[in-house]
Amino acid sequence: MIKLIEKIEGEATLDFNFKDEKIEFVDIKFNSTRGVENILKGKNALDALVINPRVCGICGHAHLIATVKALESCYKDIKISKKAEIIRELTLNFELIHNHFKWFYLTLFPLFGFKQEVLKASYASQLMGKAIATFGGQYPHTSYAVVGGVVCDVTSMDIVKIHSYIDETIKFFEKNVIDVDVEKFILCDNVDMALNSEGDLPKILKEIYEKEWLELGKSYDRFIVFGGNSYFKSGKSHKTRVSKKLPFEYVKEEKNKSSYAKNVSFKDKYYEVGPLSRAMLKKIPLIKDSHRRYGDSILSRILARVCEMAQLLNHSKALLKELDISEASYIEPQVDISKISASGVGAVEAARGSLIHKVELEEGKIKNYEIITPTQWNLAGGSRENQGISQKAMVGLKDEKIAELVFKTFDVCSVCTTH
Amino acid sequence: MKKLKVLWLSALSCNGNTHAFFNYPNLEYFLDNFEFIYHPVIDSEYSLEDIVCKDIECDILLVEGGISDDFLRANTPILDIIKKYAKKVKKIVSVGTCASFGGIFKGGAYNDVTGLFFDEEKKIDRLEEFRDKAINVSGCPVHPDILVNTLFSIKQELKLKLDNLLRPKEYFAYSIHNGCTRNEYFEYKVDNHKFGELEGCMFYEHGCQAPFTHGSCNKILWNEVNSKTRAGLPCMGCTEPSFPRENLFSTKKNMGIPQELPLGVNKRTYLTLAGITKAFTIERLQKKLIDD
Repeated sequence: MIKLIEKIEGEATLDFNFKDEKIEFVDIKFNSTRGVENILKGKNALDALVINPRVCGICGHAHLIATVKALESCYKDIKISKKAEIIRELTLNFELIHNHFKWFYLTLFPLFGFKQEVLKASYASQLMGKAIATFGGQYPHTSYAVVGGVVCDVTSMDIVKIHSYIDETIKFFEKNVIDVDVEKFILCDNVDMALNSEGDLPKILKEIYEKEWLELGKSYDRFIVFGGNSYFKSGKSHKTRVSKKLPFEYVKEEKNKSSYAKNVSFKDKYYEVGPLSRAMLKKIPLIKDSHRRYGDSILSRILARVCEMAQLLNHSKALLKELDISEASYIEPQVDISKISASGVGAVEAARGSLIHKVELEEGKIKNYEIITPTQWNLAGGSRENQGISQKAMVGLKDEKIAELVFKTFDVCSVCTTH
Repeated sequence: MKKLKVLWLSALSCNGNTHAFFNYPNLEYFLDNFEFIYHPVIDSEYSLEDIVCKDIECDILLVEGGISDDFLRANTPILDIIKKYAKKVKKIVSVGTCASFGGIFKGGAYNDVTGLFFDEEKKIDRLEEFRDKAINVSGCPVHPDILVNTLFSIKQELKLKLDNLLRPKEYFAYSIHNGCTRNEYFEYKVDNHKFGELEGCMFYEHGCQAPFTHGSCNKILWNEVNSKTRAGLPCMGCTEPSFPRENLFSTKKNMGIPQELPLGVNKRTYLTLAGITKAFTIERLQKKLIDD
């Protein structure tokens, strides 16, 4: 049976194949593409900074940061101030937090039979939007990170303002989502403890316990993170084996016969990307506990995404303290980009996982551009013999409604997938 | 209070307008006045399949994204869905620059991408019979105030004055330049802008299109706090049919004079003014705004 999945920043169809009343295979189809990589061909390199955020209305900022990193990696020698690095990391953190709030209240809530909380989602995400706009001018769709740094300067009053946006968001998160102090929540290493309060997260967790969905949605237990920064650790892990080396040559994009979305694999294996992978690599105590008990199930996935809001809010406060506003925001590159003929790669962690941009420049013009989005990893439509991450997570379920829930715990972004 | 019924359709888009709309500060008030029969993110009484198959009452049609004959939603050509509702609604609002003029995804995977009523600035006849219902709120993305206040003005049956591209004049008669904190550097032709600084104007070297782009970014501000040009990013001209132009971070010049001049200003006027201001040095604009 074919089911149209909507309200995922676009649409997808899931074609469920049943055997003995259980899902045996799910064909995932995305039915259009916009051809952004083609639009980029022949354009001046810097124009990518304006075009690429428009890949996605919800995580476009990650596309901006991936673009600027890819372009900068085309230089043999380029200086970026610590200040610019911190500002870029902050605005990207804010976007991740913004996205997670929307997913939690707009997508997850209805899946558990609760009313969508539009106002809660917008309250918190607007605060994060303001914080990005204070640096970047606007959100969504700023291009404020340019080759050499960021276009903005920052005053101490800006810092005061951003601090207040973070604090207000923390207050909202504590009061509504977790019902405990953020600091305590971050140190928590026991899933049972996360259940013992009145917040919106415990409300979801209690449903999972009551419905006995604890082991639901398990996949290969393989995780990968490319966009390491001052907080995230890059690497891959399978069960307890961790390896740090991730040569980009092993990342392979493949056309999919039945869908416009291309599949992505590393050394021919599918890996999960996103908050759960980041938490596994970073060894977040609460997620380790959840994973030890219930594996890479929806419980771990949901918990990891929510937990990441707390971690990033906290970490952003620390980063803001490190910001030295007397440094330069922008250091003009020694070589003009019109003289550059080279290839580059930029990888960042977007809300839904690793986002990779690859560029090939010829005298400052884009000869080739390749975008690999997080959803392409998680929603790869593999064959029956070699199923993708989310396909595998749905196998064996009896009810396609529950399968849709599992599918959406990956936080599906159709527009990114079909760039 | 009777709520107006609104259908929000996404065509070939990034959903950026959907998320810009989410930044409207008083969403609760909005949702007291309007009901989405379908929205790309907000839960609605009807599914997209219902919208396609059933006959559902609707007052305003919102379309986000570019239009192509081949683009489908719920396995149905988007144009068919648009036409079905265009007949019954009071107004059709093209939300953002893609739906207004074609926008950023022209030249991508579909070769016939246009707006609903325009292909760039050229009128097209895809939906000609409905042109008298059309309003364009362009911008990449749309500013949430512009969208929401346009919807309220429809609800209150106000007569909106529209420009020749069907945009509400109250927002699009201004230039983006109006209200920019860097205006003094423009007025006195101080042309030494560097990225990463509070000072300087991006019009001379870095491609800022604010003086010749219609919109209210610097009047109403983004996210209630800032604008691209205030932050130091050139205006990319995203409200105009020409968006996106090429070589967006550098100013095209002829014999040292910017090729595109401020709205309504001819070359002679510009040169005369530039000549006069260049004769003076204003010390305040040569040094750091906030010095030690």
